[in-house]
Amino acid sequence: MRLLLVEDNVPLADELLASLSRQGYATDWLADGRDADYQGSSEPYDLIILDLGLPGKPGLEVLRDWRARGLATPVLILTARGSWAERIEGLKAGADDYLTKPFHPEELLLRIQGLLRRAHGLANQPLLQAGGLELDESRQLCRKQDQEIELTAGEFRLLRYFMLHPGQLLSKSQLAEHLYDGETERDSNVIEVHINRLRGKLGRELFETRRGQGYRFGGAA
Amino acid sequence: MRSIQRSLSLGLVAALVILSLLLLQTSLWLFEAGLRRTLATDLRDETEGLLIALVPGGDGVQLDAQRINPRYQRAFSGHYFRIDVADRTWRSRSLWDVDPAWPSSAGLSDGLIDGPQSQRLMAYRAEYQRDGEIIHISVAQDYTPVLDSFAQVRLGGFGLVLLFVLILVLLQRYAVKAALRPLEQARQQVAQLQQGQRQQLEVRAPVELQPLIEQINHLLSHTDNTLKRSRHALGNLGHALKTPLAVLGSLVQREELSAHPVLRRRLKEQLSQIQHRVSRELTRARLAGDVLPGAHFDCAAELPPLLDTLRMIHQRDIALRWTAPPACRLPWDREDMLELLGNLLDNACKWARSAVTLTIAEEADGYRLLIEDDGPGIEFAERARVLERGTRLDQHVDGQGLGLGIVRDILAAWHGELSLGTSALGGLSVHIRLPRSQPALG
Repeated sequence: MRLLLVEDNVPLADELLASLSRQGYATDWLADGRDADYQGSSEPYDLIILDLGLPGKPGLEVLRDWRARGLATPVLILTARGSWAERIEGLKAGADDYLTKPFHPEELLLRIQGLLRRAHGLANQPLLQAGGLELDESRQLCRKQDQEIELTAGEFRLLRYFMLHPGQLLSKSQLAEHLYDGETERDSNVIEVHINRLRGKLGRELFETRRGQGYRFGGAA
Repeated sequence: MRSIQRSLSLGLVAALVILSLLLLQTSLWLFEAGLRRTLATDLRDETEGLLIALVPGGDGVQLDAQRINPRYQRAFSGHYFRIDVADRTWRSRSLWDVDPAWPSSAGLSDGLIDGPQSQRLMAYRAEYQRDGEIIHISVAQDYTPVLDSFAQVRLGGFGLVLLFVLILVLLQRYAVKAALRPLEQARQQVAQLQQGQRQQLEVRAPVELQPLIEQINHLLSHTDNTLKRSRHALGNLGHALKTPLAVLGSLVQREELSAHPVLRRRLKEQLSQIQHRVSRELTRARLAGDVLPGAHFDCAAELPPLLDTLRMIHQRDIALRWTAPPACRLPWDREDMLELLGNLLDNACKWARSAVTLTIAEEADGYRLLIEDDGPGIEFAERARVLERGTRLDQHVDGQGLGLGIVRDILAAWHGELSLGTSALGGLSVHIRLPRSQPALG
């Protein structure tokens, strides 16, 4: 999952980046509203965390402009402005969720999970379920027929992306775009290696290879 | 209450009546003075006529009856004379046996003298000298018809004055009404302002009212701007305080602190207290209270977005419904009202199983808000404690609670009342009574 964090407070951004990375999210960070305006709609993010008090361009305007240009990426507003009038403003501008500072780090992670699942049309359930698997995102464990299966960080990130897109054909470059942030060297061989390991742990039939096109998760589905 | 219309009418009527009466009386006086002068001339002519009638006879002067005007012969005709020559006296036959108090000095008598048959007489006395004899001739004329006609003129004058005053008062009422119409409009607009039906006074007004209206509008926008500015500044302050708090909250979760659970717990406690305090005080500082007379909350425009926001935040299957009278406008600040309803509905959504309803009803002396949910509710014995906890900020540590603190602050500013009960849906019902704010004028 590739996230964009737009936050001008460096210490908070550092903390959030560390915490998001622990949760297996590839996160790009921007501090200026004008940069966010451009990059938010040019890169294929799965979710954007947006602060409202930004230098360059106010967060609400950035959000309005994104929506006016047809950007459908889920946006979570993370702000100190907590009055109900301001929350309503945020929603009207096109936000999908609103979290006020200060917040519990777990609360933010839960909201990101929930928002990603909703964005992919999945019911709001405690565990992510797809293709006969259950994914415990907080513990980064996979459960198959009441059997817990340990995952590495890379495997977890890949499996989560597959489980959020069951039955969809995903190309290698698409996977790379959504699993790595803008600064990481993208090596498609790494993805291949992770898929092979997942096949070994969870069963070959779950990850179908379409030659020259990519992969499809969901097996028989 | 003082009314401009009434004081104007009173002043006008008083001035008109006094002025007209003065005018009437003065013109009567002047007219009478002129009349007296003419009458004096006439009476002197009469004395001269009588002097001619005095002719020399056998033993001194004789009064020649042929030369006397016949009206002096007819009894009580209103014309009388008396002639004194040496020791002889002639009286007109018209006097019959009455002897009025003739004037003793020459010229017109000072006042009227009593004549026969309750006539009032104007008398004139003249002195002549002929052949060494002094002749006193006094004539008198009945003045009653003149007095009568004067009384009639005076009565007619009164009537006319009355009529004029009446017409003028009516005209003045109309004129004042027309002139005061903008004032009445302004009064109505101020009343509307009070009820939150408008934000500014309309600027179409006569020159005299223009500065007042502009000043009121200026004050209104000034208050509004001040509130916006201070809210913005508070937003910035909140941002500046809450972002580091968020960083601290995240730092406390660090792996390195896992080895010191007691330290972590105490840090968390203190942080949460600071967070709570900061949030509460900043929210409280944002309240407008009842500063703005033009403030209003448009239910139909504001409630749907608020409920959408609640649905977004809670992300559960809760049926959120609201009912309010048609075109309902609550006369309180929009942001305050959103804060009040937002907090109460947010609480209801936290506890509800599947449904939350908001009911707004208008009453004679205010509004009634009812927030109901189908959650577990609160036991009767617990309710007082919950309400109490909302007020005691320092003891209220956990962020959950009922969040009633800010609600109580808002209600205190509005003189509202809050009570808890059992809702028809099975859960808690929060019942709020808001008295209509008293208009500052009238």
